[in-house]
Amino acid sequence: MPPDSPAAIHAPLFQDLVAGLDATRRHVILDLGAASTAMLALLGRSRCHVEIADLAHFGGIDNLNRAEPGPALAEAAESVLPNRMTGDAIDFVFCWDLPNYLTLDAVSGLMGAIRRRARPGALAHALIFYADRDMKEHPGRFVPTADGELIDRSAPGPTLAAPRYSPEDLGKSMGGFMIDRARLLSNGMQEFLFRLGS
Amino acid sequence: MFERSKKDDNGVESQDANRAASDTTFGSLRSKVAGRGGDAAVIGRSIQINGDLRGGEDLRIEGDVSGTVELKNSALTIGKEGRVKADVYAKSIAVDGETKGDLYAAERISVHANARVQGNIIAPKVSIEEGAHFKGSIEMDPAAVEKALGKTVAENKSGSAADAKGPPKKPAKDARTNLNPPVGTA
Repeated sequence: MPPDSPAAIHAPLFQDLVAGLDATRRHVILDLGAASTAMLALLGRSRCHVEIADLAHFGGIDNLNRAEPGPALAEAAESVLPNRMTGDAIDFVFCWDLPNYLTLDAVSGLMGAIRRRARPGALAHALIFYADRDMKEHPGRFVPTADGELIDRSAPGPTLAAPRYSPEDLGKSMGGFMIDRARLLSNGMQEFLFRLGS
Repeated sequence: MFERSKKDDNGVESQDANRAASDTTFGSLRSKVAGRGGDAAVIGRSIQINGDLRGGEDLRIEGDVSGTVELKNSALTIGKEGRVKADVYAKSIAVDGETKGDLYAAERISVHANARVQGNIIAPKVSIEEGAHFKGSIEMDPAAVEKALGKTVAENKSGSAADAKGPPKKPAKDARTNLNPPVGTA
């Protein structure tokens, strides 16, 4: 690995989730982050329909944070999600570190909109700043390695205070997705897997 | 001369096209360029087209196109200056510029770095380079891709004067990243 390459993060819940993709089944996946060749190659091993929202680049974060809770937020949440080609319910959601950049109201509105597109039992994966008080000014650009570890390829830059959402905060704000499992990662982030109740 | 609802010398057809440029500029539509995109007709940077664009040869778009683009048996390149607000049907599609609309290709779709794509992508092979901005969906289930492309061909055959012969069922082998398994082999 070149000396300046960011270190790979061992994220066991992400690995489990990806390993659990059944190559014989069709899966519908919502990725709230940016499209990456590595992620698509990983998902391409199974029969996936991938929906990509790229909240950071298409104004989704600002739209959600600015919207007033209620109808305006619900409308904003629908608009930041991709237009759907199929009515197939979402099985997996990749949130990456994006919830850290949203208010809890915005998280709630977004996940509520996702819940309406997801099947009961759908899983959502997220990385939450926990140990560090600061985070990068802009969301990371996480790409998986071939063995399912994660590398943040975003450029270094200014930082801002991390909201350091607690499991209790998230449990109340994930639009019906409940905490299924959590792990503290070596980089100080908390890795969460949420499951949508029926 | 590029005329409304008529094919030009190169077989490129446009309906209800706005003549937003001079005859000289439209002449660039028929010019051939070499480079990425190969030997293709070009819609130049100053040209705006609103309507349905159809043709039977490779095309590079550097201008603004709104409506529908159908190049069923040909390659379409949307250059860095190109802005397309349309559903696009082609044999292959390469994007360097901006698109808003669904992209259908019988063989492959390539979204290059710095491209900005909003819409759904349906093709047996899809590649998205790092640095590209994409919002939409990518169908990676070969059976669903085949179904979607087949449906598109059927819709166009029953529609207006389509020149489509339908997508080949076995796309040519390509050296670049193949994110989707070729149709019929997975």
